[in-house]
Amino acid sequence: MNTWLKSLGALLALAFIASTPVAAQNNNNFNPTKEAVKEEQLLNALKSGERLTGRISIPDEKAASLIQPSGQEWRVFHQQKLPVIGGVAILGMLALLVLFYLVRGRIRIDGGFSGVTITRFASLDRFTHWLTAGCFIVLALSGLNISFGRMLILPYFGAETFATLTAWGKLAHNYLAFPFMFGIALMFLIWVRDNIPNKLDLEWIKQGGGLFSKGSHPPAKRFNAGQKVVFWIVMAGGVVMSMSGWFLLFPYLAEGGVSDLQFFTTIHALLAVLFIAAMLAHAYIGSVGMEGAFDAMGTGEVDLNWAKEHHALWVEEEQAKGRAPAMPPGAMPAE
Amino acid sequence: MLTKRRDAASSRARLQGVAAGLASGVLDRRSFLRRSGLAAGGVAALGGLTLGSVRKAQAGPVVADVKIDRKKNICTHCSVGCSVIAEVQNGVWVGQEPAWESPINRGSHCAKGASVRELVHGDRRLKYPMKLVNGEWTRVSWDVAINEITAKMGEIRDKSGADSVYLLGSAKFSNEGAYLFRKFAAFWGTNSVDHQARICHSTTVAGVANTWGYGAQTNSYNDIRNSKTIIFMGSNAAEAHPVSLQHVLTGKETNRANMIVLDPRFTRTAAHATEYVRFRSGTDIAVIWGMLHHIFANGWEDKTFIQQRVYGMDQIRAEVAKWTPEEVERVTGIPGAQLKKVAETFAKERPSTFIWCMGGTQHTVGTANVRAYCNLLLATGNVGVYGGGANIFRGHCNVQGATDFGLDITNLPLYYGLVEGAWRHWARVWDVPYDYFVSRFDEVPAKAGRPARTRKENMETPGIPSTRWFDATSFDADDVDQRDALKAMVIFGHGGNTVPRMPDMVKALEKLELLVVADPHPTTFAAISGRKNGTYLLPICTQFETSGSRTASNRSVQWGEKVVDPIFESKDDYEVIYRFAQKLGFAEAMFKNIKVENNRPVPEDVLREINRGGWSTGYTGQSPERLKAHMRNQDKFDLVTLRAKADTPEVGGDYYGLPWPCWGTPEIKHPGTHTLYNTNLHVKDGGGTFRARFGVVYAEKQADGSTKDVNLLSEGSYSLGSELTDGYPEFTYGVLKKLGWDKDLTEAEVATITRIGGANPDAVGWAIDLSGGIIRVCLDHGAIPYGNGKARAVAWNLPDPVPVHREPIYTPRVDLVEKYPTRPDGRQFRMMNAGLTVQKAAIEKGVAKNFPIILTSGRLVEYEGGGEETRSNKWLAELQQDMFVEINPADAAARGVVDGGWVWVTGPENQSQARVKALVTERVGKGVAFMPFHFGGWFQGVDQRGNYPKGTDPIVLGESVNTVTTYGYDPVTGMHEGKVTLCQIRAA
Amino acid sequence: MARMKFLCDADRCIECNACVTACKNEHEVPWGINRRRVVTINDGKPGERSVSMACMHCTDAPCAAVCPVSCFYTTVDAVVLHSKDLCIGCGYCFYACPFGAPQYPKVGNFGSRGKMDKCTYCAGGPEADFSTAEYEKYGRNRLAEGKLPLCAEMCSTKSLLAGDGDIIASIYKERVMKRGYGSGAWGWKTAYKETINV
Repeated sequence: MNTWLKSLGALLALAFIASTPVAAQNNNNFNPTKEAVKEEQLLNALKSGERLTGRISIPDEKAASLIQPSGQEWRVFHQQKLPVIGGVAILGMLALLVLFYLVRGRIRIDGGFSGVTITRFASLDRFTHWLTAGCFIVLALSGLNISFGRMLILPYFGAETFATLTAWGKLAHNYLAFPFMFGIALMFLIWVRDNIPNKLDLEWIKQGGGLFSKGSHPPAKRFNAGQKVVFWIVMAGGVVMSMSGWFLLFPYLAEGGVSDLQFFTTIHALLAVLFIAAMLAHAYIGSVGMEGAFDAMGTGEVDLNWAKEHHALWVEEEQAKGRAPAMPPGAMPAE
Repeated sequence: MLTKRRDAASSRARLQGVAAGLASGVLDRRSFLRRSGLAAGGVAALGGLTLGSVRKAQAGPVVADVKIDRKKNICTHCSVGCSVIAEVQNGVWVGQEPAWESPINRGSHCAKGASVRELVHGDRRLKYPMKLVNGEWTRVSWDVAINEITAKMGEIRDKSGADSVYLLGSAKFSNEGAYLFRKFAAFWGTNSVDHQARICHSTTVAGVANTWGYGAQTNSYNDIRNSKTIIFMGSNAAEAHPVSLQHVLTGKETNRANMIVLDPRFTRTAAHATEYVRFRSGTDIAVIWGMLHHIFANGWEDKTFIQQRVYGMDQIRAEVAKWTPEEVERVTGIPGAQLKKVAETFAKERPSTFIWCMGGTQHTVGTANVRAYCNLLLATGNVGVYGGGANIFRGHCNVQGATDFGLDITNLPLYYGLVEGAWRHWARVWDVPYDYFVSRFDEVPAKAGRPARTRKENMETPGIPSTRWFDATSFDADDVDQRDALKAMVIFGHGGNTVPRMPDMVKALEKLELLVVADPHPTTFAAISGRKNGTYLLPICTQFETSGSRTASNRSVQWGEKVVDPIFESKDDYEVIYRFAQKLGFAEAMFKNIKVENNRPVPEDVLREINRGGWSTGYTGQSPERLKAHMRNQDKFDLVTLRAKADTPEVGGDYYGLPWPCWGTPEIKHPGTHTLYNTNLHVKDGGGTFRARFGVVYAEKQADGSTKDVNLLSEGSYSLGSELTDGYPEFTYGVLKKLGWDKDLTEAEVATITRIGGANPDAVGWAIDLSGGIIRVCLDHGAIPYGNGKARAVAWNLPDPVPVHREPIYTPRVDLVEKYPTRPDGRQFRMMNAGLTVQKAAIEKGVAKNFPIILTSGRLVEYEGGGEETRSNKWLAELQQDMFVEINPADAAARGVVDGGWVWVTGPENQSQARVKALVTERVGKGVAFMPFHFGGWFQGVDQRGNYPKGTDPIVLGESVNTVTTYGYDPVTGMHEGKVTLCQIRAA
Repeated sequence: MARMKFLCDADRCIECNACVTACKNEHEVPWGINRRRVVTINDGKPGERSVSMACMHCTDAPCAAVCPVSCFYTTVDAVVLHSKDLCIGCGYCFYACPFGAPQYPKVGNFGSRGKMDKCTYCAGGPEADFSTAEYEKYGRNRLAEGKLPLCAEMCSTKSLLAGDGDIIASIYKERVMKRGYGSGAWGWKTAYKETINV
């Protein structure tokens, strides 16, 4: 395992590891019966997240934990908080999108289709996107299933079918984690250059990306600020999901034992629902929400008018490089 | 303490119904053996054990429509004597159930006892005889192995003499096996026959027997429930005898008893004490004298007891006077006030018992330590009472029995000594002419200025202790006081990592012409040296695969029945000893009165022969029939008194296991002796007095050089109901006559006595009277046959009659050596014991500076002895996977040693070193390190797994502590110094 | 019906590990799976106590609450059992369990968890009592034979008590009254939301 990952993991776990409080005493001569520790004392002395640990002869430090009250906190998070957070995030996002659709409708290409296309994403770009997105969808669904399936699906399927489904889901989740992580890494390599924030983004943001007013199209290079935000959400989300997931994939690596794992599942689940919510928005705007947008990742060829409206500066750059087609005769500029 | 056991009858019917269709899944014995025999060996198996989400059943489940046989045997690990109940189907041991009915363990076990089923499944057992051919282990047949071994033994005998073959026996033998092995040595013609007691309680036996008569635990584990004060000194019973703690802790709770642990190490036992006292290893005598100092100074001693039953306490008082609280603290480190409190508690809150183990015995002053403990008990009148006594917890499951049956270089069976009278006694019992035995012993020529020995003299000379067999091999033949040096070792059931100075041992091993290891496992002996040839491994089965009796630490004798047949090609000890005797040509004489079936001597018959000869120790009443009746009726015995109610069928009035002495023939139904020397009971109820073993008067040297006869018989103290109301000597036919009790003898008894006595029948004593008449008559008169003497506070025949503190050979306190040096060099047991020379050299070399940490050793609960058997048991091995050294956090910090990290422990001799894991803990004080002694298979950093025959390597291997332990021997018994040496530790 | 519980009297526990090997022996539990274990608190220091711990068969068991596939069930004796057929080896029960009871075999090279294994209170699993399938998945079913868990039955010092909660509580109380000290019924507050007041 990466040492940085390990040390980061250890750092994260620090807050969770605890040792039994020890009275510093001269242990040469005393009454061991009188001085015996009492469970109640020890439990009361524990701080939040600490465990009651001791020594055990088997070479498995995890087994040296006697009582870990934080399991209760994890249970509360998992059974009570997570469904609320997940519900709010995911259902809330869906509601927002519906509302947005109702208010704004589908964002059309103001100039209409020009009939001329420009290559927006090459096959490597699209491969990377769909590899990651495909994995993400399965990971999200299987993840949602393991967290909420018992509540939402099990009653309809019955225990056995549901267990089989979930077992397959777990397998899929475990194995697709690797191509997902690969996709995230690839994405970073090929797109990071175009996703460095710059001054243009401020303008874009000031104008709300033109999302909320018809005909407004702040200029953007290859990626506008909104897309950059998505990119960085995916990067940050992908990395943290991968890291926390790594320990869940290989539970025996987590040095802090159960505390680490609780921490990582908490992070993983919390981030997952937010990630899913964000990706719902991304998916919306990349398909239903905006005319001509899906082509970018569909065929890779977008209509020139769409491109000029949303990525005017990028089109200019491409044209300067001679990679973009000239405007067809008779076509009107978008303005 | 369990509750809510539902009626099992209804569920049993259910059991039969549900699983009726599973017969095809039943494991029969053959397929079971095949499977366990072919399972992967070596380290690979470690990984294999972890695989699989659904476990493969290894030997179960218990199937309903196949009959379950319940077999009762005794745990083969420590000496507590826990009953084991085995469930057997189709010859396979499929389950273990709690033996609720046993008064000793009441269903309980420790980690070892709860996992003994694995022993007869163990795929790491030795499966067939093997021999080393040019460094390769090769399978041979039993016949070939025995033929070749005995031929080689004969060759060595012709060339170098019988004494050149060392016979190392075992505390793992049953009583019958131990007895046969000792008898075998007599027929072979050597006294170099020994076993584990040498290295565990030989000093106890010597010290205790020299004090009050018998060298055994005076009371029982159960009796500790009666104690008000319990001292553990150098005993970690929680790990070494876990089930004993059931009795100890219950006693502690119900009596609100004081449980005081004196130990250099804060052990798991200490954790339950009411007072923990840490002291410096090897200063026991100073501690005890420090306690007695307070006791005498405050008049807390039991004056009546001393006056009536103790000889020589004044001389102790004089020595003790020197041990002021200041001097005690200087030497031992114990603050005066604390020791005073301990002394007062022990003397006043009685009955008090004193428990010791290897922490006390494994020292150059082991015998003296033991004698000091005894003196503390005598001074406070705590011997011969319920709840008191010297509760010596012995180690192995039958170390008491093996000691009793003379696997000892100084004894014939049952402590008969090596004198002519003893030899003649056993010759009579065995029905073999005395002269035959004389002829079997070597004549020893005069060597190096020492006189020659005739065969008879050699026959009466103690052999070589197991702690020094390698010196007897490596030394120049002139330095070994016998015909030639050792040439062969025949080892039955004894580990090879149990004695200090292993680097020296390895050299000797390579020098031996013949090495025979007869054991369920190859042991360290087989793997540690670079031997290429002349090495044989004979697979011996465990006691679960044969039958016989074993004697627990409390002297209770328990019969174990065979659970399953010996697995693979293994055989039991009886058969192998018989086959050896057969090839060596004395089987017929040796088994004259013992039935032999298919080459296997019948253990019941062996026990009957023991019953016919074991008068001295009262091993005569425990017939196989009575012992089996006890096992059948275990639930009839009281938990505390161990006695069955008088009206109980078969066992009425008996103490459980007929603890010896069980006087007279089985027919007179002596109940056994629960508490030795207990004058509050009639002899027929197990009462007794101190043994009048040391004469009637003693010519005590006075200050002016003259001598004064001092009475050695007790004064005004006698056992309940005795017709003799004062001290009396041992009984002989002559004494009976004087008392007029000879009239009570039957004609047949008189005839036997006359036949034994020949010209002088009056001299025939109770111990050699094969009729048992003298004993019978004594009991009828309420007298004890061995006499009513005083215990000896001073044992004038020992090197230090009054125990004196002597610094360990390798001591960190060099400043104390001048005042408290070890004993002068001297020849003992056919060799030089050069302790003082070594101590002086160590000081000159400044060893204490370079090796500043005291190294001590001890047991882990999961393992036992040399550990091969337990380290091969996967259920136990998992719990202790690494050899370690306990080191105090301060010492660790100073050396950059971290918990769980590898370290080198180096010793002051042979540049010895051991690579082990560090366990940083406050269990040990600053300047002290502790290592468990069960590990083997690594030697000085080298993993020797490849040296074991394939598939027989224990799961867990590790360095042996004895690689770094050092020179030092008790002058009385040859006990090694296993508890104090010096070492250095550095991070690896 | 009885309400089965475990109680480890730490003032009796000497860390002899009999409970551990008895469990291994009775159920042929493989290497690396420790249904029961003994932990020593304050090792080597004043106050040292050892406690034998396994699944406590909690009231309102956290494992059952968090299991994504709902594989746990509680018997009429209040023993918490699970179905290995349903278990997917996700580890959630391990996160929630206060006592570290759930164990997982490492399956294959992937190093992830196999199906969870834990103390069954010697009561088997959902399969028919005494069936081979039950034995192979969960071990022997002593409870159905009218016997109690072997770990407690074989405890060297009678430290580990098993049986109906009220009865073992009264045994423990009696002990504490008699001897005058007690370090508490370890895990009871956490597992059963109650403790034994003496």
